[in-house]
Parts: sequence; C-alpha cells; structure tokens
Amino acid sequence: MSADRAERPLRVGIVCPYSYDVPGGVQFHVRDLAEALIARGHTVSVLAPADDDTPIPEYMTAAGRAIPVRYNGAVARMTFGPVTAARVRKWLAAGEFDVLHLHEPVTPSLGMLALWIADGPIVATFHTALIRSRPLQMAYPLVRQSLEKISARIAVSEDARRTLVEHMGGDAVVIPNGVYVDQFTAATSDPRWTGTPERPTIAFLGRLDEARKGLPVLLEAVPRVLAEIPGARFLVAGRGETGPDEVRELLGDEAAAAVEFLGGISDEDKANLLASVDVYCGPQTGGESFGIVLVEAMSAGATVVASDLGAFSRVLDEGAAGVLFRTGDSADLAATLVRVLHDADLRARVSEHALEVVRQYDWATVTDQVLAVYEMVVAGRDAPVREDPSSVRGARLLELRRGRGESR
Amino acid sequence: MRWSEITVYVTIVLALALWWVWVAASRLDRLHRKVGTSRAVLDAQLVRRATVAAELATSGLLDPVSSVLVGEAAWAALSTGTDELPADLLALVGPDELPVGGAALLAVDRGGIESELSATLREALDDPDEVAALRADPAGDELVDLLASSWYRAQLARRFHNEAVAQTSRARRGRLVRLLRLAGHAPEPRSLELDDAWPENLGRPGTRRGPVESAPPA
Repeated sequence: MSADRAERPLRVGIVCPYSYDVPGGVQFHVRDLAEALIARGHTVSVLAPADDDTPIPEYMTAAGRAIPVRYNGAVARMTFGPVTAARVRKWLAAGEFDVLHLHEPVTPSLGMLALWIADGPIVATFHTALIRSRPLQMAYPLVRQSLEKISARIAVSEDARRTLVEHMGGDAVVIPNGVYVDQFTAATSDPRWTGTPERPTIAFLGRLDEARKGLPVLLEAVPRVLAEIPGARFLVAGRGETGPDEVRELLGDEAAAAVEFLGGISDEDKANLLASVDVYCGPQTGGESFGIVLVEAMSAGATVVASDLGAFSRVLDEGAAGVLFRTGDSADLAATLVRVLHDADLRARVSEHALEVVRQYDWATVTDQVLAVYEMVVAGRDAPVREDPSSVRGARLLELRRGRGESR
Repeated sequence: MRWSEITVYVTIVLALALWWVWVAASRLDRLHRKVGTSRAVLDAQLVRRATVAAELATSGLLDPVSSVLVGEAAWAALSTGTDELPADLLALVGPDELPVGGAALLAVDRGGIESELSATLREALDDPDEVAALRADPAGDELVDLLASSWYRAQLARRFHNEAVAQTSRARRGRLVRLLRLAGHAPEPRSLELDDAWPENLGRPGTRRGPVESAPPA
C-alpha cells in the first residue's frame, strides 16, 4: 500500500449501551469491531455496562451494573445515574481518544451520557430500525443539542438509515454490521446436524420466546413440511421459555418429534450448525434492521429461506442469494421450504451467489469503511476528544438545584 | 410588591434570558465551526480525488481520448477546488500552467464541475475488463486503489458536511436567533450538491482491494 494510505494508529473509545451480562447483537458488533481495530494496530478502549465481577476482555472498562428498565416496550438493561456519569468522565479523561465511537446514542444509557459529556471527533452508529419516538420526542429538545455534536452518523442498514431520517431528520452513511465470514466458511459440518436427502435439516437461531423472531411461524409450518417430506428435521437453537412441551401441545407428538431443541449454543457450535444444515430459516416478523444471522448462515453455506422484510430482502440481494417467503405466512413458508428442499440445483445456485454477496459484510471490508469515517472525522480536528464544559455546568446546576430543593 | 422584590424578579428573568442567549450563541458557534471543518475536509478529499484523476490521465494507462477528457475534467476540478496545488502535481504539469487567479474562480459552480469529473471517470472506467487491465499494471493498480479510496472518502465527507449544514441552517432559523442576530457575520452555510455516484468497476466502496475477480494473481 502507498504511504498515503498508511493511517497513523488511532486511539479509539467505543461506548456500548447494553450490558455484556446479556449477549446481544450490538454487544457482539462492538466486541468484533474493537477486536478488528486492535488487529489493525489501533488502540481501543470499550466502555460498557457490566457488573464489576463480570469477566471482561482487557480492552474493556466496566461502567457499572446495568439495571433492568422498561423502555421502548421492552425491558432493557441500562446504566445511568451520577456514579456512572463520573465513571464516563474518568474514562474519557484517561483515554485521550482521537475519536469517540458511540453506539445507539439515542438509547437512554451510556451512549447518550457519553455524548453529553464529551466533545470532539464523535462518530455514532445507529443500529435499530425501530425507534418508537414518543419518549424520545419528550426528551428531544434536551438530546438534540447533544446530537449536534456527532460529526459522523453511521446506520447499519438502509432500513436503519430510513428510520433515522424519518424520526430524527438528518442523514447517515450506511456501513453494514460485520461478520468474520471466513470463520463461517471454514466451519466443519457436524454429523449430528448434517442433512441427508431423506432427512434434510432446517435450522432456526434466535430467542425462542420473542414472537418477532418468528419461531411460531416456523412451528406452524412444520406439519405441512412433514406432509411432503416426512423425514425433515427442525433444529432450533437459542435460549427462551419455549421448549419441547409447548411444541408437543401445539403440534402433537408426531410432528413435535421432528423439532429438536439445542438450547443456547457456543459460537463455534453455531458456525458448525450453520455449515451442516441444508436450510437456514429466518422467519422474523419485523423489527429487524439488518439480519446478521442470515449473513452468517450464507457464509457457512446454508441456503437461507427468510421472510421478505425490507432488511432481509436487501441482505439476500432481493432473493438471489436466498429464498424469500411472505412475512408471517406459515403456509407460504412451508411451500417455500418444500420447494427449496426438493430442488438441489436451486440450493446450489443460491448458495453460490450468497458466498459472493457476503464478502461486503466481511470485517475486512467493514473495518476499512469504519476507518475511512474515523479518518474524515479526525481530519477536521486537531484536538482529541475532551470533556464538554457545558456538561460540567449542567452537572453543577443539577447539584445546585438539588441543594435548593433540600433547603426548602 | 416592593421595589426590592421587583428587582430580584427582574434580575432572575434577565439572568435566565442571558443564559438562554449564551446557550444559543455557543450552540450556533459550535455548529458554524463544525460546518467549517467538515467543508475543509470535503474540499481536501475532492482535491485528492481530482489529483488522483489527473495522475491517472497523465499515466499513459488510459486510452488517449479518456486521458484527455479525464485530464480536462480533473484540471477543471483542481483549479476551482484550490489555489494551491499539491507539489507532486505541480511537478507533473509544470508551474507556468497554473490557471490565472485560482482563488478567484472559487465562486464557480463547484458541484457541477465535480459532477462532470465523476461522470467522465465513470465513463472512462465503464468496462470491467478495462479496469482489470489497469489493475494488472502495478502503478495502475495503485492509482485505481487511490481513486477508490479518495472517492469513497469524498462521498462520506459530503454526507457529513451536508448534515452539518442542515443542522446549522435549522439552528439559524429560530425566530429569536434571527431577531438577536446571534449568527453574527457568519455566512449562511451552503450544502454541496454533486453527483458522486459510485463507479461500479472500482470494487466495493471503502475497501483496499478491488473485487476479487479483477485482482491481479498473487
């Protein structure tokens, strides 16, 4: 590479709003991004909510315990309060970051706090395609000024970008979530999960009791698939309350025998599972902004059958790199599964194209793009990230007000 | 109400009003600075892209017609984009060919000229085989890489700049902000509109390498 391109190593501070005690998409993204940046020789520190006794990687700083709070229709684990604010301040001061990268800055957690406290080259990534804006609208005048401190906004998908444009105004560049594609292409198939022409295997991954992940849609399709392909096996991986008993109740003993629950599985097992099965099924019914698991399944060589959500059909190259069915329609899902399982040529064709498509989601590509954004943001400023004086004033004002309230 | 009480209330109201004005003014100031830096970054990236285009045009790797047209478009972009050309490019064209009054041309239609450069480059790189042939040459490979990298960065920088402009304009539109002339003498920021659509054959935006198919054999 030319000297022009050799970037100087950056000091990057990444803030993750969600707790590492509970794994999730944003947390994995932050972890992988941090590790990809470190592998390129940059210095990275991640600030994330975590109990002080939770084992965390050495590049991470725990911001304290996350408390379950009802927000946006779901219980999320958030970290907030003056103690946390003080920790954020300390972390910012100690880090002397060239660039601060916040994730989900409009979630009332660490990201929002860090944005309020910091000033300088700030990048923010918006992950969600589901900002229910009512609570945000109330706080918006307070948050807006903070949001103006962001120099560069990244959305993880076209859908996330659209949500941002519609709900908050303004634009963002789209840089997808990354996947270590080679880890999945190199995964070996496991005889336990490998399908045969008589006994093809279909995998599902995701939280079992969260309806929008679509397990009910898949389960309802099971009897119809079995009617055509009696040997089909459905492998369900993931944590949740739903288990074999519910399925037996729903489908009856015979059909339920075809559904195997694997529970929560390790990353390695996940890759092997995806490399073994004939079809990966993504029956999600909504709220998906990206579909990282589809990319993983495509990388591992499984043929993807997924609902035709906007985000999914974009990831699947409008149906050329995976087969789409009508969202939430079990009959259509069953028909599609049968068609795909019967047609080996279709599977080969789709999977081959999928392997080309996934390259754009490989961390090699995504890290380049994120670094280009950092470069643009750092180029305009000579000073690193520092404390925003107005946030200090705000904190003192709060103290003053509290003092006044007590003396009354 | 006694006069002392009135004084207290008036003082409080005045203090609050002053505080608001101070907050609004510092917000505007921050936004104006943000627009300034984002514009400088965008200009630098556009100049970088035009420089690479000019190098490509003079490299002898393109056919003569493309060379001339890309060179022309790059030259136009460079002479509007900056009055101080990078040293390596000066050496390339010779100092006496500097356009007269580079800075004075700044007012011309920057967006139009940059769009023309984009269109010309896209046309010159229209054929995947042509790009593959370019990449077969080590110098050409490096130039194509540099072009892709600066093009992607120009796209990013323009998005970020236009975003900053939109935020600043919104802040300037406030009634009290206008009444009190809080924006001062800072000129109304203008977004830069131009066609910077990605040329298909440059590979994936932002990556160091082109598409695997057209990469030279290792």
